Amino acid sequence: MMGAWRDGIRRVNGAPALLLGVWALTLLVSVPMAAAMRGMLAQHLGASLAADTAASGVNYDWMQEFSDQAAGLGVTFKPTILGFGAVLDNLSAFIDDTERPVVIVGAATVYIVLWIFVAGGIIDRYARDRPTRTVGFFTSSGVFFFRFLRLAVVQWIVYAALFGSVHPLLFGRLYPDLVREVAVERTAFAVRVALYLVFGGVVAACATVFDYAKVRAIVEDRRSMLSAIAEATGFIRRHAAAAASLFLANFALFTAVIGVYALVAPGAGRTGGSMWIGFAVGQVYVIARLWVKLVFWASETALFQSRLAHAGYVTRPDPIWPESPEADAI
Amino acid sequence: MRRALLTTAAAALAGAAIVSAQPGRSGAIIPPLSPRNANYTIAARLDPATRTITGSETITWRNITTIAATELQFHLYWNAWKDTRSTFMRERALGSSSDRERARTADDWARIDVTSIKVGGDDRTATKRFIAPDDDNPDDQTVMAVRLAQPIEPGGTATIDVEWSAHVPHPFARTGAIGDFFFIVQWFPKLGVLQDDGWNCHQFHASTEFFSDFGVYDVSLTVPGGWLLGATGVEVKRYANTDGTATYRYYQEDVHDFAWTTSPDYIERTARFEHPQLPAVEMRLLLQPEHASQAERHFDATRTTLRYYGEWFGPYPYGHITIIDPAYQSGAGGMEYPTLFTAGTRWLAPARVTTPEAVTVHEAGHQFWYGMVANNEFEDAWMDEGFNTYSTARAIAQVYDPNYLALRYFGGFVPWVFRDIALSRETEGNRLAGYRRDAESDAPSTPSFRYFPSTGGSITYNKTALWLNTMERWLGWPAMQRIMSTHFERWKFKHPKPNDFFDVVNEVAGRDFGRFFDEVYRSSDAFDYGVQDLKSEREGGQYRTTLVVRRFGEAIFPVDVAVTFRSGERVTERWEGVDRWKLYTYDRPSQALSAEVDPDRVLLLDIAATNNSRTLEPKGGAAATKWSLKWMVWLQDCLLSWAALV
Repeated sequence: MMGAWRDGIRRVNGAPALLLGVWALTLLVSVPMAAAMRGMLAQHLGASLAADTAASGVNYDWMQEFSDQAAGLGVTFKPTILGFGAVLDNLSAFIDDTERPVVIVGAATVYIVLWIFVAGGIIDRYARDRPTRTVGFFTSSGVFFFRFLRLAVVQWIVYAALFGSVHPLLFGRLYPDLVREVAVERTAFAVRVALYLVFGGVVAACATVFDYAKVRAIVEDRRSMLSAIAEATGFIRRHAAAAASLFLANFALFTAVIGVYALVAPGAGRTGGSMWIGFAVGQVYVIARLWVKLVFWASETALFQSRLAHAGYVTRPDPIWPESPEADAI
Repeated sequence: MRRALLTTAAAALAGAAIVSAQPGRSGAIIPPLSPRNANYTIAARLDPATRTITGSETITWRNITTIAATELQFHLYWNAWKDTRSTFMRERALGSSSDRERARTADDWARIDVTSIKVGGDDRTATKRFIAPDDDNPDDQTVMAVRLAQPIEPGGTATIDVEWSAHVPHPFARTGAIGDFFFIVQWFPKLGVLQDDGWNCHQFHASTEFFSDFGVYDVSLTVPGGWLLGATGVEVKRYANTDGTATYRYYQEDVHDFAWTTSPDYIERTARFEHPQLPAVEMRLLLQPEHASQAERHFDATRTTLRYYGEWFGPYPYGHITIIDPAYQSGAGGMEYPTLFTAGTRWLAPARVTTPEAVTVHEAGHQFWYGMVANNEFEDAWMDEGFNTYSTARAIAQVYDPNYLALRYFGGFVPWVFRDIALSRETEGNRLAGYRRDAESDAPSTPSFRYFPSTGGSITYNKTALWLNTMERWLGWPAMQRIMSTHFERWKFKHPKPNDFFDVVNEVAGRDFGRFFDEVYRSSDAFDYGVQDLKSEREGGQYRTTLVVRRFGEAIFPVDVAVTFRSGERVTERWEGVDRWKLYTYDRPSQALSAEVDPDRVLLLDIAATNNSRTLEPKGGAAATKWSLKWMVWLQDCLLSWAALV
């Protein structure tokens, strides 16, 4: 397992363009929305002197005033966006299934669709363990996009069931029943953490199955996503210890990234140079998170290949750019 | 039943060992500080297994009004939680109640049943009936009326014997039991207040609290042996009974309520408040074991209150105070009772965040605004909650500044402190954000129990604190301190009405504040002054500066208008703020730089401070860029969280 993990990290580090590409993808979705948010903030501040304190630090009074009149995207502008609070807010919202404004859900949907598109190209590149160039990347992305869309339908059904039914059952009914007569906060927290582990474990298990389904679809050129899911489940069952250990190793990477960011996350700061330094730190964190996500895929690919194929083996031939009619004529 | 209880107590007195007593503290106050016209001797027994209380009481009541009483009216608060048809529950449904709260099992609801009532030995049980003076709700059973055979004339006294049983609910509005934690308040049949215009005995409402006369409370409580008990007053005796229970007797004079709590899990700490000019106060803290490390924080906060409220308003005279740290999920946190209050903290309570300090200071502060100055909380809740919110913010600022914003994550268990966001007394302490949202929801002069349930708090607490702090910034603290201390001194151990306070303000300040109180008390109008336009352009050898200020809101308050020029010159004008707008024009050799309405932020009630100023060197764009970049990282992290599922 450690070999697959190290191999996965090596494969990701060996293809920095993919990391930069998914970062660009993240910017593609986030920059226009940040621009829209900037417009709202600038309009509300106008030529007010309140902007001076907002520029040099935090004007919490203004933030609350903005928040009270905000609609749409604006309602997400809260103190929690500051520094490591942003990470806690999002992790907490994820595991507590907190409702997000429609505009955020819309952005997340677009982002997810983009990821579904590039997933084929990314995993194909890691599976081949050699450069596929832009042509190969987008060819694979195109080839697998509709397969992964079909897979996404299954994913959506599963996650909708988990977040729409299991989560309310665990945290809306079971948790209140379990802690109904609990008069000690630590005990209640322990119960909640246990339920987080249960729910998180199920989500992680499903995500892992879907990851390996993608890996098998690419390595074995599978067209049926249901069979890919079934075979992925079979693979995980037969190599449970390795798959679980690999997941935990990758999760440890995720935790390490979060932990480091907790120490270095920039606060409010001022405008000017320090603002851009703070933003750069935030982007390094985002890139690190993306790197961890790619390591998940690459190491899972490496593990699969090491157990059922061999490193760099992919059934489908190398994607090549079709010859032009002129070249064909020659 | 009463006889049985008294017999038990007598047997315990005669034969059982005295486990402990607290020497030198009796609950007696000489000379009396209050009229003491409603005195209660109560004996009650708690059965934790069935969550039942059986009790009896003898009330010695004196008619201190100018009218005869032809009936008696009692509060039976716990019937508010008898079912979903009570006025309390119907009002809750308008506000914040959950389906889960309404869908309780039968055992989770409460009730209180009066089984016998005698007046001067005459059994009047058959005449008892439920009345609903506030809303005629026939299903509400929180007020009981009993006809008298003989009127009780002004100055006359009656002895009333009552027996009752009650079921302790799963926590409701700070009352009830969870696990082995019992918090028992508003728990006994309690007389309303007879006034010159009749009984003032309101039903229990969702967003208001209580009102009663001062008296002497002598209460014996029987609970399982080995459980710790805290209560209003002083423990004067404690007996172990032969059935494994223990009886605690508490005594206190010059209070208007009695609350108690018991649990086997409490740990007890004691400390003392000392001050060169104020009476010493023994502090007793009953603490949850998981909060053991926070004991000193509770004591420090209580000392802060006793010191600053004592110095500013008047001394705390009881000599003892009991701080209750309630159990998790008990819903009992942050509530005041005479000589006893509940704090409220969390297992994870970071330093420089005012939990548990803010709630402790606030509830301890209610000993002054509620405990001693005892306004009618049904009708004029702002007089204690608003006064106390203002006072709390002021006291917190003396000791706990700076304190920071903390938000909680993961089901509310995990706090994170935002060291960039220091909370200010003026806006956070006085809760401006909440007021801004609900500013026009109700006029404070509306009886508090008629406020819309989910927004009433913003008027009661926030608006009052904001206008009191506005007065302080307007008149200066010395004048404001004289106002508050005069009101305290004049109305302690009495029941002041709003006009009593307004009279004190006019008298001490030496001017008529009627206009101000029209705006902040008799109206629901909002304040919003702002700069409409600022221009400064060269005309000849000078700059012509034009400034338009506006009154965007309906409410009126005199404000300063300041213009700052590039030369450093600053011109301040006084605008009465009555007209909807005003134009100022200046011809100066220097160009204007900025203009501000209310530059010193005297008017804390202004709901939109951002429009109060305008500069010709705006930084809005730069600030917006900075904050949108921060937000973008949050968004990216949010997107990444969901992308984990791809």
